[in-house]
Amino acid sequence: MLTRRSFLQTTTLAAAAPASQPKRIAIVATVYRLLSHAQHMGDRFLVGYPYGGVWHKPDMKVVSLYVDQKPAGDLSGDRAREFGFQVYPTVAEALRCGGKELAVDAVLIVAEHGNYPRNEKGQTLYPRYEFFEQCIQVFEQGGRAVPVYNDKHLSYSFEKAKAMVDASRRLRFPMLAGSSLPVTWRLPAIDLPLGCKIEEALMVGEGGSDAMDFHALEGMQCMVERRSGGETGVKAVQLLEGDAVWKAGDEGRYSKALLTSALSRSDTPLGLTVEDGRTQDLVASGQLRVLAKNPAAYFIEYRDGLKAAMLMLDGAIKDFNFAARLSGVQQIQSTQFLLTPEPNVTYSACLMHKVEQLIESGAAPYPVDRTLLVSGMLESCLTSKLQDHLRLETPHLNVAYQAPRQSQFAQA
Amino acid sequence: MSSLMRPKLAAIVTAYFKYSHAQHIVDRLLDGYGWNGTHHYPPMDLVSLYVDQTGSNDLSRERASRHSGMKIYPTIAEALTAGGSKLAVDGVVIVGEHGNYQRNEKGQTKYPRYEFFEQVVKVFRDSGRSVPAFSDKHLSWNWEWARKMYDTSREMGFSFMAGSSLPVTWRTPSVEMPLGAHIGEALCLCYGGVDSYDFHGLETVQCMVERRRGGETGVEWIQAYRGDKFWEALRQGVWPKPLMDAALCRSHTLVPARAGFNHVFPAVEDMRRLVRDPVAYRYQHADGLKCTVLLMNGLVRDFNFAAYVNGRSEPWSTQLYLPMPDGRTTLADFFSPQVNHCETMYLSGKAAYPLERTLLTTGLTAAGVESLFRGQTRYLTPHLAIRYQPTKESTFWRT
Repeated sequence: MLTRRSFLQTTTLAAAAPASQPKRIAIVATVYRLLSHAQHMGDRFLVGYPYGGVWHKPDMKVVSLYVDQKPAGDLSGDRAREFGFQVYPTVAEALRCGGKELAVDAVLIVAEHGNYPRNEKGQTLYPRYEFFEQCIQVFEQGGRAVPVYNDKHLSYSFEKAKAMVDASRRLRFPMLAGSSLPVTWRLPAIDLPLGCKIEEALMVGEGGSDAMDFHALEGMQCMVERRSGGETGVKAVQLLEGDAVWKAGDEGRYSKALLTSALSRSDTPLGLTVEDGRTQDLVASGQLRVLAKNPAAYFIEYRDGLKAAMLMLDGAIKDFNFAARLSGVQQIQSTQFLLTPEPNVTYSACLMHKVEQLIESGAAPYPVDRTLLVSGMLESCLTSKLQDHLRLETPHLNVAYQAPRQSQFAQA
Repeated sequence: MSSLMRPKLAAIVTAYFKYSHAQHIVDRLLDGYGWNGTHHYPPMDLVSLYVDQTGSNDLSRERASRHSGMKIYPTIAEALTAGGSKLAVDGVVIVGEHGNYQRNEKGQTKYPRYEFFEQVVKVFRDSGRSVPAFSDKHLSWNWEWARKMYDTSREMGFSFMAGSSLPVTWRTPSVEMPLGAHIGEALCLCYGGVDSYDFHGLETVQCMVERRRGGETGVEWIQAYRGDKFWEALRQGVWPKPLMDAALCRSHTLVPARAGFNHVFPAVEDMRRLVRDPVAYRYQHADGLKCTVLLMNGLVRDFNFAAYVNGRSEPWSTQLYLPMPDGRTTLADFFSPQVNHCETMYLSGKAAYPLERTLLTTGLTAAGVESLFRGQTRYLTPHLAIRYQPTKESTFWRT
């Protein structure tokens, strides 16, 4: 392995694409079929996407693709033919475009969807870390590193996720990761004021583990990281399921006012609303407990004392909503993270715009540490679930960072 | 009515079944709704209900059984007088949308909004007292009747609100047309049918352009284009294609023009293939402003607005977002801001936005239908010389 000094020396010698030419992108994906993350994210760089009221075509060119699996419906070959790039048999060859040296200016790792085994915690073992490691090898061998976007959490394992972020720091390349929830439209279009004092925070979502719980946790994290002092890391987590979730509410471990507030932002109450269209006050009526038959509560205790909870309420709602109580502010702050419908899933255009910023500017618009922390929170919560729902201390989650000053959600 | 008392309301509706407008609106008054980050229960009591048609899917009886304070009456007069001889409520909600009503030869559904309104004002007259009223959607399919409704409310001096939920729902992005803006052209690209969602498209445009310099001046003519004439007009540039493109870039529901893709920008040939029966209404205001509403079923399922504003060459655009319960949501929450504005009127006695807007869009809807009926010829609208000023404050959903 290169030392940092020799790496930096070679970095300065390595040839990057001339400034006037479109940036060259390699996509490293698990699968590329219709409505897989790789397709709806990768395609934005091929056919453009709506941004700010125009159809925006990134001044970038996808030059290579690696796909790990080619199930029925695989589109990789069609896309390569139509848009003039190669599908390579290995990650390294994709990054080198078949040559001997790194031949791209940015890498998109989109390892979501495809057939991968699950572990005992119920986590799908998507090979994000493994893909990333192969990219790092190419960077190190060539003495040059380029910006990397990693879709969703960094890895199912915090240890691996940490190694990824450490590598990006060691080799000094900008890295962005995570969910589209933090960057999609909000109803209402609010952010928490930077530096606010949060008394408590709560997120509600649906869709099970481990896929949608990551999105919900990152949606919550992008809000609470704006608190006074910035993010300090997580001290302990606990995951409860079933009746224990309602009991925890009765005992005040999460606020029913916040729960009511978050649910008041939902456009998708189920049960009686589906039956006859009526509006519902799910908490006051008791219907929440009837509808959410297998609820889960992810309790997050931050190192600075903030307590937050994320409730997965499958059967009761089908969207993602946040509520927080701020010190000195009478009204609860709440909003819906708008997940726009298939097939356009315009939220992924919001996210790819951030990726474009990363590649264009060489700086991540928001810290990868957010996704690192959430990757770790999720893993520890799922460990708690496996260990009889015990509260687990998480000294390893001492991930501190500052939120971006500018709000990053879709507003333009 | 003492300010400490809860206003009593009567609702007069055509039909009350799942996802009918009456269900959306009246349910919110009965069961509350999410508002400002809590479940809001309106500080008023819906005490009487008249339902014109009760089929096997009727929900009004279920609602009455759960809300003992609400009685169902067999006539509008009885609903307003609570079975007595004089007006016994402090506000009226008229929802004349959905139900089985005849269509005329022009394709207009003859919802009895005017007839309901006339019966309401008869009670007002007989009681020597009028109270604020809301009438959902356009005032009437018949322009003369709509005008009479407007004039009656002004003569009798009661607050009267009407219209679509489009002007008051969320927007993505959450932006407002600057008050006093110079608008070069405006366009709404949306979906739906004639004498139906065209009204929503017209209200989308009107709630924006009424904010232009000088305020609203009325409309001089309208021309409809349908089918081949639509495509020919598009080819000739009758309306600005860049505004259409900007509107398409605000949609969350753009039908992919190519198999295997989830989101691509459609070429005109793609649109011709996807949209079987396109309809355009193009019209000119008295101050020269030209506006266009495009109904493009098969291409989008949302309401997107674009305009040239303050001399800028890039269009100004947004989507007026309807969380539509067609699989995307279970609640039609765009009714929440509409009901909330009604509540404000019942409490304050003042309409939250001008009735003239809906008078004008009612006239435009009927005139668009007329232009279609007359072979897509230009239809002069001297009767739509309606001038008014917008509210200074924005009234769309932001909180």
